[in-house]
Amino acid sequence: MSIGTATFSAPPAPVLGRIPGNKAIWVGIYCELTEFALMFIVYFLARAHHPEAFRDGPQQLSTLAGVTNTVIMLTSSYFVARGVMAMRRSQRATCLKWLTAALFTGIGYPVVKFFEVQWNVARGLSGNGEVFQMAYYYLTFNHLVHVCWGLLGLLWVMARTWMGAYDATDHDGLEAFACYWHATDLIWLMIFPLFYVLP
Amino acid sequence: MHSERTLTVAWLVLLGLTLIGGVVGNTGSPGLWVTVAVAAMMAFKGRVVIDHFLELGGAHPSIRRLVRFYAVALPVMLILTDLFGPQIAWLTTL
Repeated sequence: MSIGTATFSAPPAPVLGRIPGNKAIWVGIYCELTEFALMFIVYFLARAHHPEAFRDGPQQLSTLAGVTNTVIMLTSSYFVARGVMAMRRSQRATCLKWLTAALFTGIGYPVVKFFEVQWNVARGLSGNGEVFQMAYYYLTFNHLVHVCWGLLGLLWVMARTWMGAYDATDHDGLEAFACYWHATDLIWLMIFPLFYVLP
Repeated sequence: MHSERTLTVAWLVLLGLTLIGGVVGNTGSPGLWVTVAVAAMMAFKGRVVIDHFLELGGAHPSIRRLVRFYAVALPVMLILTDLFGPQIAWLTTL
């Protein structure tokens, strides 16, 4: 038996688990998680140094805005997940409907953020205020940037879906976007209680 | 792969916990046990998103473990900060 034959007859390597979407998106998600991890460390250190400011801080913010944006992120994420499920069954039109619903829901996030900032500024909460306010603007504006990138990505996968670029067996691009959107949702679920919920 | 029903239930649970969080934010008073409850809610919601939205249950271990660790590490850091805030402040004062 030749070496070549032995190689071909060898059992396949054990499957360690799939990579959802593609490797590139996970490099991006790791970067996103690392970036926010550093900001969370700054948050916890600031909280340790200024417990009073962080105890009183959430009362200065609009809980309604925080809850609304959490509902928006979760619902948009849910719609994207339903879109991926539809694509797995080759239901391209249904997938596009779910993605459209996710887009219109997701656009609500920067809209709510706009009104929230207006509300904050009217009450004297600014980015150069005390430490809680600075941490709040620093983390939530960074998250807003990631949401806006995600909305652009959503437009891209909607166009690709409409053009028929994905099908049941090949929709890695769609799944990669979904992973990014869910990871951005996950980060918001960590931010929300730290600024809006903790009394 | 998940069914639509499982995903919908997960989404509704997340919405319900978010509304409970909003109530706590408006009416709760500061205390360690409130912090522990909020941290537990953070970890649980994170795990639901990881398992049912990101579907990392069958993903490569390096991805699954890191993301799951992330959603546990932050709530734990929150509890540690409230428990040992003065010591952390002392250690990190220049």
